[in-house]
Amino acid sequence: MTTSVTTTPAATTPAAIEIAGLTKVYGSTRALDGVSLTVPHGSVYGFLGPNGAGKTTTLRILTGLARPTQGTATVFGNDVVRASTAVRADLGFLPDVPGYYAWMNATEFLRFTGRLFGLGGRVLDERVDALLDLAGLTGVATKVGDYSRGMKQRLGVAQALINAPKLLMLDEPTSALDPMGRKDVLDMITALKGNTTVFFSTHILSDVERVCDTVAILHKGRVVREAAMSELKHSGAATRVEVDVVDRPEQVADAFRARPWATECVRTGQTIVCTLADLDAARREIPRIVADAGASLARMTELEPTLEDVFVELVGGER
Amino acid sequence: MHGFRVFLGKEIREILRTWRIWVLPGIMIFIGLTSPVLAKLTPQLVSSLTASEEAGIIIQIPDPVTRDAYLQFSKNSMQMALIAVIIAVAGMIAAEKRSGTAVLVLTKPVSRTGMVVAKVLSNWALVVAATAAGAALCVAVTVIVFDSTLIAEFGIATLLWLLLACMFVAFMALFSTAIGSQGGAAGAGIGLYLAISILSAWGPGRDYTPAGLLSAGDRILAGQDPALLWPVLTALAVTVAAVACAAWVFERQEL
Repeated sequence: MTTSVTTTPAATTPAAIEIAGLTKVYGSTRALDGVSLTVPHGSVYGFLGPNGAGKTTTLRILTGLARPTQGTATVFGNDVVRASTAVRADLGFLPDVPGYYAWMNATEFLRFTGRLFGLGGRVLDERVDALLDLAGLTGVATKVGDYSRGMKQRLGVAQALINAPKLLMLDEPTSALDPMGRKDVLDMITALKGNTTVFFSTHILSDVERVCDTVAILHKGRVVREAAMSELKHSGAATRVEVDVVDRPEQVADAFRARPWATECVRTGQTIVCTLADLDAARREIPRIVADAGASLARMTELEPTLEDVFVELVGGER
Repeated sequence: MHGFRVFLGKEIREILRTWRIWVLPGIMIFIGLTSPVLAKLTPQLVSSLTASEEAGIIIQIPDPVTRDAYLQFSKNSMQMALIAVIIAVAGMIAAEKRSGTAVLVLTKPVSRTGMVVAKVLSNWALVVAATAAGAALCVAVTVIVFDSTLIAEFGIATLLWLLLACMFVAFMALFSTAIGSQGGAAGAGIGLYLAISILSAWGPGRDYTPAGLLSAGDRILAGQDPALLWPVLTALAVTVAAVACAAWVFERQEL
């Protein structure tokens, strides 16, 4: 008789965040309306949505700053309401507008936050030095009250990492930064990939495309799509094709528009961009249509849908 | 109370490194220095004013004594210093919420009750230290100006003022937490001060509630023997209750 033992990773390692039916009502407003999502352990998870979609409310519930009206949320298996202290011990959090004690300098602030996690001695010394270096604040003796927005944001990321968190939650970490500040923060997030689960909310699509491997799109308090980044871009929005012809572009464009696989065609000079309902049919027919029109095909490129395409399709024009 | 000691240490450093170290201690030191001098000079000032403006009217003013110096300190503390305490600590929780520091701290494993208690304890320490400095200076200047002391009576009167001030700090913690605005909390604190002042004018209110502490020090310094048991016990009870309520409210608040 043989005995086989199988292990299921999901059974032994709970998801970093598991949210089920999360609802938050303020008076007559449903800020969250049955949000459910799963943040895999080790992922960089983009929590995307227009302003007012409910991103910050979700983060406030996860961090214990607010309570859900209905539903549950767990962080590494711990309920955020019942085991709030245990959840926060594993967490690093950067709010959208971090508040600091203006009379402290960066070193003092990091040491203070480290001690709140019970750190001390050499571990704290080394971690503070490393994080000051990461934030580019080594040797800066200025009080935090005199910092620029970018310096405050970098210090915010540093303080969120002081406890070497298993889960880092960032609320709109780049929204008010200049391009260099944004690059710094995104580089810091990228450097954490593989070591720490990162859950970050934003409405800046390019940030998500750059660093995230999984995305949820929140709209009016509901998750309208949750998927791996690659899957999202290949499933939601329609593929487009860009065709450059040498002669008779308008005639070719009209011929494309007459075909059932083209839902929309826009011509700009010699270039025609068609949104497709059937990619395979378009691939087969486009060269023939161009030839039948007496034109020459200079270039044909399939355009992968961008996150922006997917976002606009899911969220629509509504704000 | 996770994080209590760390947060208390932060509070004490904050007191030492910001405006807070100057305001209340400055006021108490000012009162300590000027009360004996004012007590000494007041009869002369009044005499000189009545001599020049109200010729023909004779006002008999007894010579000032040591007791008058301490009474002056007590009256100034009960009015000027108590209002200063109310205004200075009005933002103890509200300012943390408004500035966003509460969010940054409370998303770490820190107990909200611990935060409230640390705030109250650090402010009590400030009030005690400021009062000790002011009272010590008052005694020193009184010895110089009047050449005698009434340490025991002055000590009891000062302890009674401290108890009242600590009770107000506790209520300010509650107001600051519940109202969430520094101005609103200060207004509620001044309202409480006025209510207690009115209550102290009513016999049972003075004998059986903390309102009795408002005048108890003066009466002791005047050589009377006011009823202290109930005012002290009720002040201690409502102080503890106010801190507990502040913690209870803060635990349930959403930030």
